[in-house]
Amino acid sequence: MAAARAVLRQVFGQYPMWILFLLMYICAGALMPDLLTPVNFQNTVVQGTVIGILSIGMTFVMLIGEIDLSIVSLAAFAPLMGVLSIQILGFPVVAGLVLTVVVGAGVGLLNGLVIEKVRIPSLVQTLATWWILAGVILVVTEGATKGGFPAEWNWLGSAYIGPIRAVLIFFVVFVIIVWYFSKNTKTGLRLYITGGNENSARAAGIPTTRIRILAFVLSGLIAAVAGYTLSARLGAVSPRFGTEWLMPAIAAPVISGVSLTGGRGNIINVVAGAYIIQLIVQVIRMAGIGGYYSELTQGLLVFVAILIDTLRRRMMGIQE
Amino acid sequence: MNESVPLVRVENLSKDFGAIRALHDVSFQLEQGKILGLVGDNGAGKSTLLNILFGRLQPSSGKIYFEGEEMRFKDPSDAMKKGVAIAYQFLELVEIAPLWANFFMGREITRKIGPFNILDNKKMKSLTQQKLSQYGFQTNVDREVRELSGGERQTLAVSKAIETNPKLLLLDEPFTLLSIEDTENLVTLIREINEKTSVSVILVSHTLSLIKEVSDCILLLKGGERAFFEAADSVSIDKMIEVICSK
Repeated sequence: MAAARAVLRQVFGQYPMWILFLLMYICAGALMPDLLTPVNFQNTVVQGTVIGILSIGMTFVMLIGEIDLSIVSLAAFAPLMGVLSIQILGFPVVAGLVLTVVVGAGVGLLNGLVIEKVRIPSLVQTLATWWILAGVILVVTEGATKGGFPAEWNWLGSAYIGPIRAVLIFFVVFVIIVWYFSKNTKTGLRLYITGGNENSARAAGIPTTRIRILAFVLSGLIAAVAGYTLSARLGAVSPRFGTEWLMPAIAAPVISGVSLTGGRGNIINVVAGAYIIQLIVQVIRMAGIGGYYSELTQGLLVFVAILIDTLRRRMMGIQE
Repeated sequence: MNESVPLVRVENLSKDFGAIRALHDVSFQLEQGKILGLVGDNGAGKSTLLNILFGRLQPSSGKIYFEGEEMRFKDPSDAMKKGVAIAYQFLELVEIAPLWANFFMGREITRKIGPFNILDNKKMKSLTQQKLSQYGFQTNVDREVRELSGGERQTLAVSKAIETNPKLLLLDEPFTLLSIEDTENLVTLIREINEKTSVSVILVSHTLSLIKEVSDCILLLKGGERAFFEAADSVSIDKMIEVICSK
């Protein structure tokens, strides 16, 4: 009994966002019973994978107290480059996938180098990268959606392993790997330490510049992964890919307790935050709130979620 | 190391920041196992000297000999490899990280699982608990540093520095903001560490009585220059005050 209480205390203490998500889902399901069917539940979870992956990438730069606005256009740019390498240059699909990830990491590296060596603020640099990549995408696609991907590229987005969507299994494995990296490797710990107090980390001999650049590399690489999973589900890449996910990708880590000034955050809770936002979006859509009111309602609900979380942490004495 | 060779010998050390002369022509030496009290008013060059010895700053001119060899530390990790450790005035701990992560910052313990090096969190926590207990500090090492008192933070900072097994320990204003009891405890800790490990210590403090009590020799800086460098028992507190306050 005592052991069970200890487990419950740990779950409530460390993963409150998951409790909140489950409660919200149950309440939403009470109002809209369709949400509780296995098919709809799996659809909600699958649709949340893109916000989930983007939010995880954003978390890594937030851990060092920075931001990366370029993730949304990178989520379109990286898979576009991968697909073009297959369609135009005749690369095998695997090579196209590798190129997608390499492009993501490469853009992240460029962001990191400019921010750390040239000392341009991350907000400015990644905004510029966002616009540049968005422009390149428009030039390359001429504003049109690009489709006609090979079946192997789309496999992850459409296949099932037993009753479960392959993309969902991929997402779970991805989250476990990233969480394990953040909590159990020297580099993961040093990301937190560098974000918590860069001077202290540097004085202790930690190569903080390298760590900070790595955060942007991870953000870029993960944005590419997010873009690939979406392109695999849709069988297409659109110039408008990802623009609606920037605010959720920022909001999800914030409401999950990731500190905007760096040094604090839990990947598992970030995933819960992403699903809370995805649930809000889904409920709004299912409630028939469309058009101009949809984005307004989403923004207000996310604002309320951030406000509640800020007040909660202030009550707990966690200072920003 | 040859016992007759001083651990640290500094010759004609100078440091300029543009037009500002932070240190000028400073020379002194420190024997192994001895404690040097470094005093002077604000802006005298004490922190500059410490930062040069820890590799955070490079001197403009002059020489540093460490264990008889001429040395210039490129950066803190270079200084740490050679056996220099520091505990700063403003502590330089990560407030929102747990004690054990602060204790092992920069020297994390890992174990091999296949081709991967994974953090050995359990070992780090257990060692942190054990080491801090040796210094009279019993606490849950998963607590965040922001939850500690001033004295506990200083004990953590000094313990963290000493755990790197340094030959030279630099303490920058360790008694700042401490209560009387915490100050006494820290003085006892410094003495114990010095006696047990024969580590040489350079101790910066504005509290002249403590400097006189703890140190073997005293270096007084004024306006970036050496005002005097003498054995502690040959210098009175009044003399130190007189030199510091003189025009």
